[in-house]
Amino acid sequence: MTPPTVTTAATPVMIAAAPELPDLFPPVKLRRGLAGFAWRHPAIAIGGALMLVMLFIAILAPYLGTLDPTAIAPARRTREPSAAFWFGTDMLGRDIYSRVLYGTRVSLTVGFAVATLASLAGLAIGLVSGFVRWADGIIMRVMDGLMSIPPILLAVALMALTRGSVGNVITAITIAEIPRVSRLVRSVVLSLREQPYVDAAVAAGTRTPMIILRHILPNTLAPMTVQATYVCASAMIIEAILSFIGAGTPPTVPSWGNIMAEGRALWQVKPYIVFFPAAFLSVTVLAVNLLGDGLRDALDPRMAKRI
Amino acid sequence: MDRRAFLKSAASAGALAATGALSTPAISQRAAARTLRFVPQADLANFDPIWGTQYVVRNGSALVWDTLYGFDENLKPQRQMVEAEGVSADGLTWTFRLRPGLKFHDGEPVLAKDAVASLNRWAARDTLGLMIKASQDDLVAVDDRTFRWVLKKPYPKMLLALGKNSTPVCFIMPARIAATDPFKQITEYVGSGPMRFARNEWVPGGKAVFEKFADYVPRQEPSSWLAGGKRMLVDRIEWITMPDPATASAALQNGEVDWWENPIADLVPLLRNNRNVAVDIADPLGNVGVFRMNHLYPPFNDVRARRAILTAMSQEDYMRALVGDDQALWKPLPGFFTPGTALYTEEGGEILKGPRNLDVAKKLLAQSGYTNQPVTCLIGQDQPITKPQGDITADLLKRLGMNVDFAAIDWATVGARRAVKTPPGQGGWAMFHTWFAGADCINPTQFGIRANGDKAWFGWPDVPEVEAQVTAWFEAKTLEEEKAAIRRLNKAALENVVYAPTGFFLQYQAWRKNVTGIVKGPLPFFWGVGKTV
Amino acid sequence: MLSYVLRRILATIPVMAVVALFVFSLLYIAPGDPAAVIAGDQATPADVERIRQSLGLDRPFLVRFGEWFWQILHGDLGTSIFTNLPVANLIAQRIEPTLSLMAVTLVLAVCVAVPMGVVAAWKAGTWIDRAIMAFAVLGFSVPVFVLGYLLAYVFALQLEWLPVQGYTPLSEGLWPWFENLILPAVALGCVYIALIARITRASILEVLQQDYIRTARAKGMGQTGILFIHALKNAAVPIVTVIGIGVALLIGGAVVTETVFAIPGVGRLTVDAILRRDYPVIQGIVLLFSFVYVLVNLIVDLLYTLLDPRIRY
Repeated sequence: MTPPTVTTAATPVMIAAAPELPDLFPPVKLRRGLAGFAWRHPAIAIGGALMLVMLFIAILAPYLGTLDPTAIAPARRTREPSAAFWFGTDMLGRDIYSRVLYGTRVSLTVGFAVATLASLAGLAIGLVSGFVRWADGIIMRVMDGLMSIPPILLAVALMALTRGSVGNVITAITIAEIPRVSRLVRSVVLSLREQPYVDAAVAAGTRTPMIILRHILPNTLAPMTVQATYVCASAMIIEAILSFIGAGTPPTVPSWGNIMAEGRALWQVKPYIVFFPAAFLSVTVLAVNLLGDGLRDALDPRMAKRI
Repeated sequence: MDRRAFLKSAASAGALAATGALSTPAISQRAAARTLRFVPQADLANFDPIWGTQYVVRNGSALVWDTLYGFDENLKPQRQMVEAEGVSADGLTWTFRLRPGLKFHDGEPVLAKDAVASLNRWAARDTLGLMIKASQDDLVAVDDRTFRWVLKKPYPKMLLALGKNSTPVCFIMPARIAATDPFKQITEYVGSGPMRFARNEWVPGGKAVFEKFADYVPRQEPSSWLAGGKRMLVDRIEWITMPDPATASAALQNGEVDWWENPIADLVPLLRNNRNVAVDIADPLGNVGVFRMNHLYPPFNDVRARRAILTAMSQEDYMRALVGDDQALWKPLPGFFTPGTALYTEEGGEILKGPRNLDVAKKLLAQSGYTNQPVTCLIGQDQPITKPQGDITADLLKRLGMNVDFAAIDWATVGARRAVKTPPGQGGWAMFHTWFAGADCINPTQFGIRANGDKAWFGWPDVPEVEAQVTAWFEAKTLEEEKAAIRRLNKAALENVVYAPTGFFLQYQAWRKNVTGIVKGPLPFFWGVGKTV
Repeated sequence: MLSYVLRRILATIPVMAVVALFVFSLLYIAPGDPAAVIAGDQATPADVERIRQSLGLDRPFLVRFGEWFWQILHGDLGTSIFTNLPVANLIAQRIEPTLSLMAVTLVLAVCVAVPMGVVAAWKAGTWIDRAIMAFAVLGFSVPVFVLGYLLAYVFALQLEWLPVQGYTPLSEGLWPWFENLILPAVALGCVYIALIARITRASILEVLQQDYIRTARAKGMGQTGILFIHALKNAAVPIVTVIGIGVALLIGGAVVTETVFAIPGVGRLTVDAILRRDYPVIQGIVLLFSFVYVLVNLIVDLLYTLLDPRIRY
């Protein structure tokens, strides 16, 4: 049988005669712009949006229908949420709505400050410790030592030395978080330094600092960013714990932690005092975590899923 | 083994375990009826009532040690370990005879020499004891049951000193233990009272256990506060430390504890709603809130600034912050002495009464020469009574236009910093908050009211008139004379603002309804308290 | 390997010494001392000073530190200022509840979180994955004491299934001991579960992208085999790190849980001692903590070599 000759006249007939094949790979609609970004990275979208809302609240707190968060009026203490006081009042008659909104500033400040400071310090320490073998032992033992000092002790000592303040809380929590961050960075570096490309760089005669900066550091950034979000969330929670003990921010500086701490004894009768700051804290921590997850998924090229 | 056999054996093992769990409650139910579980106001961290003067230590010690005399519910000292006493005509020689049959927990009899040693240790730390010691000629055991105290000057308030319930209480310990330096802790806890301290079961911060001392001989009279017969109706008392009031409330509702010393006022409606829980006032003598100022440095070294505070402060605000909306729990206090007691007076208290006048206060403040220097307020954050008072004060001072330097610190630091006499800018202080038990404010023996300058309590007020009236009270022979002296004292103390009372407040206590015999008093009294199952 | 372990153990000594010095100095310069707390609110300054002297707190820094250090070298952790009990006894008394709580929490968390993370990684991108991760993150976001109160309210007060508070030593029965620890362990564990689940999912996802997984699948290995034999083992390093780090978290969170559930553990002992300035107890505990952390981190590091043969010291 001779193959059919392909002539321009014959082709349309052939194509027309070909059987219908199912379209297995329909063209993917490439969503563009911000909506497209949000579709591809829902975690970053939701987390980022919530964070923006919180930032918005923090910055614009005075304009969102708030009263003076430190205005005391014992005559109207522990009132249930109502039209006058949207979140109710606490044991001293202060408006909880205002305190929670102003508390956003403090909690976000604590979270971001601790995350930034601890990450930077932990990154530096972890990089050096993981890569430079002889320094590893000493640095990690120092970190072990630092870890064993309870942050509560630091916070109370700082408070006794000066007074309760946001700065003290940030300092105490940062010092407590640095060892954890550095250990995680170190573990990543330990795995990375056995990689062939590192061997190749060493063999090529690259100096250690350059190896660290160019080869190791970029690969630690992804887990580092994720870790930073954990640290941010954990810092906000530790701030609540310090307030619980009485070593947090002073009552003139409302933070979610100290609103909850002050109202915790009454949670069975007046749950709203603990509920609203807890809800805000939970949403913020959730947002931070989502952001971290999303960033990690986005930054790691091997994690790219859908086109 | 196959699956069915496995399931069968698992089921039978489970049934065994279940019966095991079921059988224990029956046995422990009998034991439960003889065990009283109590939640104290604070953790019992140490157990030497002379060395450490916290109220919780005194409360626990009242179970373990007995006293020579004890206040009854009318605040009159009654004989407890003493059978009879006598004072010579010139008032200089006091002779005491102990009751027969008194024993220590190690089986030894209580002898006069034990009383003498205990008195010596107590007197070294107690204000009244020091006064007596200062004019002491001799304190000696005459025989096994009698001892004598010879003074150079008469001391009519002797029985009050020996029977009072303000710390330190004069507990009677064995001589060898009482020989311990009063500034060092005792190491053995051999008591003379109705319960033994089970030291081997003590978990500081968790649990303290007391067990009935079978050989205790109570007096015949019915018990009345620290006086009368201390009959124990339970075999075992467990003090369970609960750092969180919400947990204590839940535990009481659940029946995991029987008696809670001081539920916070906001939780009381919840407890009242529970049909198994009873609530009542804990101590009719209540507490007095205190706003203490530093008389040595500006701004409060000027009496006008201090009076500005009295003019502006609202006792209602302070009290609501402390005890909530329950009106039954607080009273305004235009003076320094406990309402409902013999020496209560409102003389000179007009400045604290009536509507508050912020403008007058501001004028007074301006007159005193206040020039906006920072006012360092030491506010203890970990104490549930000082913290809300501090918040109210910060607000008050702000409304007065003062520059508030809010030092949010812990109570231990307050204790350290308030002892410092340097100016506020150099680590000193301008004010702090605390509170006094109402039982301590029934007379001017209380340290806080004294105004002898350098020797006075923190704040160092110097008001000669107040001191003169204190002396007059000590020397008064009749109640009328005492009252007159107190009225003058109150007036002078308010005019010069030795300190600012923030109000008089009461606290509740709560217990399960199957507990009987709980009375109101300045400390929790365990005698006569029983449990039905 | 043995020399490595020995070197690590030897290295603990200078670490503990430095930590001890740091904490001692911190306590020395921080205002507030136990004498004022002991003497009571209405003591005279003279009394407070006498007590301070009898406690030896007025002596110079080097003398006090030297004496304490000498004591430690002889294995004596000192005596608590308040309770007059040896610090070692106090810690021993309080450590059983904390260890029990931590053990139950750890076991609970790992048993719940690792499977959660594995399933989430397996079904990555589906609603199961998102639901599991959302649940885990929620556990991490709610503060421990809020969770604790809620659990106590629902399970103890309303349903009356479990006790509200307290701790029963193991010697008094297995079930009573466990009963008291269930609610605190769940409250404390939620945080932990979230962390471990997320790290597990992340590491397994990473491993699942590797070529050797594709090879194994091509060779016909089933999903379970792939997940547990290849993926979990290789993902173990970060998981173990987090568990090690989590021990530290637990001690911090244990303070809150111990307060809410009235468990007399080491966490509360620390806080009470710090607020009362019971120096020997604080110093003893910090020394103990430093030893524990060094030990835990050593174990974690050794586990690394087991799990990832590429890691060498």
